[in-house]
Amino acid sequence: MGDTLLNPRFRKLKGEVGLAYALLAPAVLLMVIFMVYPILYVFIISLFKTNKLAKIQSFDGFRVYGELLSSKDTWVVIGRSLLWTFLGVAVKTLFGIIVASTLNVKYTGRKISRLLFIIPWASSIPISVMLWQWVLHNEFGLLNHTLKTIGFSNPPVWLGEAHTAFASCMWVDIWLGIPFMALVFLAAMQAVPQTLYEAAEIDGATRVQKFRYVTLPGIAAILMVATLLSSLWTFNDFNTVYILTKGGPAGATNILITYVYLNSFQWLKWQKAATLSIFTFIILSTVSIFYARLFFKREEI
Amino acid sequence: MDLSNNNKRRITNSFIILLTVALLILMLFPFFVMLVSMLKSSKEIYHIPPYWLPKKPTLINFSLVWNTIPLANYFKGSLIIAFGTVVLNTMISVPAGYAVARLHFPGKKFILFAFLITQMFSPVVVVISLFKIVIKVHLIDTYLSVIIANAVFTTPFVIWMLNGYFSGIPKGIEDAARIDGCNRVGALLRVILPIAAPGLVTTIIYTFIYGWNDFIFSLTFLQTGEKYPLTMGLYQFVGRFAVQWEQLLAGAFLAILPVLILFFLVEKQLVSGLAGGAVKE
Repeated sequence: MGDTLLNPRFRKLKGEVGLAYALLAPAVLLMVIFMVYPILYVFIISLFKTNKLAKIQSFDGFRVYGELLSSKDTWVVIGRSLLWTFLGVAVKTLFGIIVASTLNVKYTGRKISRLLFIIPWASSIPISVMLWQWVLHNEFGLLNHTLKTIGFSNPPVWLGEAHTAFASCMWVDIWLGIPFMALVFLAAMQAVPQTLYEAAEIDGATRVQKFRYVTLPGIAAILMVATLLSSLWTFNDFNTVYILTKGGPAGATNILITYVYLNSFQWLKWQKAATLSIFTFIILSTVSIFYARLFFKREEI
Repeated sequence: MDLSNNNKRRITNSFIILLTVALLILMLFPFFVMLVSMLKSSKEIYHIPPYWLPKKPTLINFSLVWNTIPLANYFKGSLIIAFGTVVLNTMISVPAGYAVARLHFPGKKFILFAFLITQMFSPVVVVISLFKIVIKVHLIDTYLSVIIANAVFTTPFVIWMLNGYFSGIPKGIEDAARIDGCNRVGALLRVILPIAAPGLVTTIIYTFIYGWNDFIFSLTFLQTGEKYPLTMGLYQFVGRFAVQWEQLLAGAFLAILPVLILFFLVEKQLVSGLAGGAVKE
């Protein structure tokens, strides 16, 4: 024992460990106070009856859990969130690949198009969503004006009806997500060795074949990371629905994230909102642990 | 043979350019609408059928919007929140990033894993508790509450980014500084940070943009209109019974411009950072 303490290497290491913990302390403390503890706290709120001021009243157990799980409304919202996420990510990925492919071709002005494609991601997201509100305006919006000009005499009141409102929200979220996908895929495509394309060309491969057998396998790993990341972001997108429709009309565009928020700060049903937060937390953790493990696996290689 | 190949290339190239133009129209349409609408007078913008371009372009909306809503206050609010987030985030992330990149300690892998997972959380999951905590510690309706929340939610990603930057600096440089009499902290401040400066600038700009774009925490924690940042101020303006859209769009343009410029400076590093180093800068 005394021997190891005298060992200078051990002492050096011990100092290093102490320093490491000291340097990490503020970050870890902040995360514990403002992320870990709040999750536990939300869990506690979900077990208690609350008043309008979110004050805990009396123990209620898992009653609301059962109530919510057997309520149709909950499943409609969860189902919509999943549709929102899967469809959203699929379309973002598709558009991302298309945009990246066009940017991967050499032509004059390519750099400028690259810059222009980033703008939706680069500008302030809440404010971009407000711009869409104006674009989608049924009387003065230039979208419906365009539609009328090209022959649709009766374009929809986009944000006024359930289906079109949800489609509009989805499109705005997709639109916000395309630039990131495009940039990641472009970077991945540019990392595919040119020699592979040359070899394919010698073998007489067509453009489509080159894409199928060289590009796609080359970007597969990044495709996986990007779609996982994007599905978490898409699922978490609060701004689009809240700003565009506030979940309306008649709750038709609510996804889990906005539903939690409206239940708490709008309708003051804190216990229900807390329970829904726990559902959201479970869904998010499952996906993010999957993501983190994938990530660490690659890191080790 | 050569000629037909050339023709083929020309056809594919014009196809690509057509496709690019179509996609750009799709992606930039709202900004085009913003640019033309903010130059219209209130009479023109509410004309039916709508005009494509302003008949008599005017800059009057830029001065009108300053009088209709307290835009200067909103700018101030956004700046305080964004700078505050940068300062708090940098103070806690730089030491933590250095520790995970340079030091050996038990539990390092767990910490990195935990940071990676928390990065994925939605503020909405914890916003109810944060609201209660903020009330309890009397920080409700203060910039500080919004700043802390934004700093917390940017910290995991920034630590990961810094971990990458710090790991890339050769160990020998630090050892040399320590032989010359620097202690670890001195070496971090005098040697490591200056070398990692470009990376640090990236994370600083990232946090600034994050704070500038904050919506949910301002929406939840701020109660006095004068304290609103631009996002909230403009959102409240849209919610009014009669929105003066031509003025709102002028305000939106002013709010977007600074982050747009900043974003272009760090876009490449951000992409590779977000893809977890899966793609190179």
